[in-house]
Amino acid sequence: MLLHICGWLQDNAFIAAINGTAWTAAGLEIVHYFSMFILVGAMLIVDLRVLGLVGRRQDATQLAGLLFPWVWISLAFNFVSGFLMFAGSAVSYYRNDVFYDKIGIILLAIAANIVVHQKVRKWGQLPAMPASAKLAAFISIGLWIGAIIAGVEVPALTGVG
Amino acid sequence: MFGHWLQNRPFALEIAGSEWAYPIVQAIHFTGLSIWVGTSVIVDFSLLGAGRKSSTSLHLSEALFIWNWIGFAIAVTGGFLLFSVSAETYLVNLAFLTKLGLLIPLGLALHIVIQQKAPAWENASETPRIAKVAGIAELLVWFCVVTAAVLIPYAG
Repeated sequence: MLLHICGWLQDNAFIAAINGTAWTAAGLEIVHYFSMFILVGAMLIVDLRVLGLVGRRQDATQLAGLLFPWVWISLAFNFVSGFLMFAGSAVSYYRNDVFYDKIGIILLAIAANIVVHQKVRKWGQLPAMPASAKLAAFISIGLWIGAIIAGVEVPALTGVG
Repeated sequence: MFGHWLQNRPFALEIAGSEWAYPIVQAIHFTGLSIWVGTSVIVDFSLLGAGRKSSTSLHLSEALFIWNWIGFAIAVTGGFLLFSVSAETYLVNLAFLTKLGLLIPLGLALHIVIQQKAPAWENASETPRIAKVAGIAELLVWFCVVTAAVLIPYAG
């Protein structure tokens, strides 16, 4: 079933054209990288603030309020460009274990983002960041770095992408 | 000459020959870039007025200063190691030469100017037009840096 959908995606004329033309294929990569840098950068700064390692004089809620829109906007760009690249070779990715690891780690990282986003206002009002907040921020940092490692391992270990 | 010498250093041969080292070095480069590009362009976006309402008393550029340069140092370290693996090829690649010789110096110069002026710009009740122009310019230059980097394999 899933394999069937992957085959259909890959054979879709629009998807094949966008991945088969050099400048659109390069364009997808450029958008994917640039949005990844903003996504991971903005999220790491929020996490580091929760850990007390950046901008201690800045209000955590305010800093998070400024950065979270960029986290979600860049995630949207990152997802769309990533999905289009995946679709271009969907059948190969379907058979690629490292790609599943990458997607799994990213889903966990997004879950951590949601937790931090929902709780940061409450944490910011406390006299000190609670241990649970620091743990969540620490996990979020680990997951995003893990996502980058998994991301570079997909082509390195499997030759796909 | 230099390229040949560099890519035959033991550390470069080590990275080139190991299945794991190269992608890990890539991941280091990308993690550094996330911190550097993320912290740099978020200041640019805020100069353009995005998300400014909620952060009138936020000295973003100052707050991010240390991590901004930590990210840069990590990115340069990872980037140098990636370069050293096939230095000779990179040194004749037009996209790489444009990235390293033109775009990165331009981006850095702009970035340092913005970093010096940002506290004054952030304090002003109305962001001056020059700040917005500088912010857009820096965003564009780093976007071009990423573009040149992606084009390296195409230009080889």
